[in-house]
Amino acid sequence: MKLQNIQYYFREVVVSMARNRWMTFASIGTVAVSLFVLGIFLILIANMTNLASELESQVQISVYLKDELKTQDQENIKNKLKNLTNVTEVRYVSKEEAFQTLQRRLGEKQKILEALGESNPLPNSFSVTVKIADDVQKTAEIISKFNGVEEVSYGQEVAINIFDVTRLIRVLGFVLMIILTGATIFIISNTIRLTVFARRKEIAVMKYVGATDWFIRWPFVLEGTVFGLIGGGISAIALRSFYSAMSERIYSTLAFFPIVEQHPFMNYLTVVLILSGIAVGVLGSTVSLKKFLEV
Amino acid sequence: MIHLKNVTKIYKDNGVVALEDITIDIGEGEFVFIVGTSGSGKSTLIKLLIHEETATAGEIFVDNRDVIKMKRTEIPYLRRSLGMIFQDYRLLEDRTVYENVAFAMQVIEAPQQIIRRSVDNVLEIVGLGEKKNHFPSQLSGGERQRVAIARAIVNAPKLVVADEPTGNLDPDTSRDIMDIFKRINDAGTTIVMATHDKQIVDSMKKRVIEIEDGHIVRDEIKGLYEKIGKKDVVVPKIGSNNQKFGAGSVRR
Repeated sequence: MKLQNIQYYFREVVVSMARNRWMTFASIGTVAVSLFVLGIFLILIANMTNLASELESQVQISVYLKDELKTQDQENIKNKLKNLTNVTEVRYVSKEEAFQTLQRRLGEKQKILEALGESNPLPNSFSVTVKIADDVQKTAEIISKFNGVEEVSYGQEVAINIFDVTRLIRVLGFVLMIILTGATIFIISNTIRLTVFARRKEIAVMKYVGATDWFIRWPFVLEGTVFGLIGGGISAIALRSFYSAMSERIYSTLAFFPIVEQHPFMNYLTVVLILSGIAVGVLGSTVSLKKFLEV
Repeated sequence: MIHLKNVTKIYKDNGVVALEDITIDIGEGEFVFIVGTSGSGKSTLIKLLIHEETATAGEIFVDNRDVIKMKRTEIPYLRRSLGMIFQDYRLLEDRTVYENVAFAMQVIEAPQQIIRRSVDNVLEIVGLGEKKNHFPSQLSGGERQRVAIARAIVNAPKLVVADEPTGNLDPDTSRDIMDIFKRINDAGTTIVMATHDKQIVDSMKKRVIEIEDGHIVRDEIKGLYEKIGKKDVVVPKIGSNNQKFGAGSVRR
């Protein structure tokens, strides 16, 4: 590619954007709005997935120990638990600690505990966090057969429900992402088709005076890149401020709700949006041009 | 310059036989009129020369290039070797006269200084030096066609192909335009012009090839628009602007 041609291509892009000001404005606007909407859904999907993992990680197995167990036996059980493949964390909960937790949970109603007097009916236990939530049932069964274990509990019904919900969230999120990406590509490439169509006479004249296909194509490819870059950039800036405002609101009102941290998530999203904007812009102009090059 | 042998063109989409078994040889520096009524096949002939349509059978050589066997990527180079002029001018409305002409040189990647010199020079030839910064909408029909001619000859082609160049112009303007074509021809450029403008054909006394229903029915050196003795050959003095009735292109 000659330097003079590169200069020509860039000048063509600038001149064409200035001449077709409204078309340029509409195209960049469409790219920006489409990518913004896509971005919102990507944020939602990311948070839904995050929520799903968060829910799953809260699935724990409580291993209640028999009373009057020696410290040595307790240590043995703890080691055996730690050696299980599906176990990530084992925490000892003494009967005193369990009692305090119970008191806290009851809050104002903790007076009922006074009926127990000085005795503490709660057992010592281990709180076990698992790696793969789906396998929690298998792991619990293994643990229940250990010597010295009174009972095992992992909130059976609740856990199974959570898995159903998280699976649904993931599948829905994926489907939604595919559909929205498709719709975005369709809208953007249609807009670009309009800008190409507006210049079909110019393309025909270029063909008649002997321009090669690539000579005609380059300015359009560059224009597509510029549309994608600016449109993607605008949508990314808008999404960043949208997400930081939303995060603040959620932190102040629904503090327990696990939202995805802004960094580095928003940086990834920015890169993804700008790159997909450019890709759709370039593809859109190349595909739309094809028809008009057949002269 | 141009060599057609047994050329047949059948349009695929409707099966119309536009040209059948056409053989023509045109030498360098000739001025040839292709005449015939609307739908006779003369526009198809022009389209075959510039590879806008591909012939169904036969062989076509333009400036020693095999037009029929040509690859898609070679078409631009064929078109660079010839200039094209149309009835509807095909100018870019959003560019000035200068830019419209310079455009033809930019796309063939000519250096900037040469573009400037050539465009100024060619605008002088067609008499539009004063109006180089005007837009097409500010020009008359005749002036627009001059811009189109300037664009066609700016790359100094050996062959200029024109399809009804005076079709939208009044007789006086047509005559001016023909003067320009004559000067270009005198400078050695081959000209092939499809037309049904009786007046200009009769006044030029150049070679005339008449096409009727896709066949060559006449090929005369220093011919007239109509064959002598065929009908009345009286040249109407006024109101002969009969081009309004058809663009002369083959209706598909």
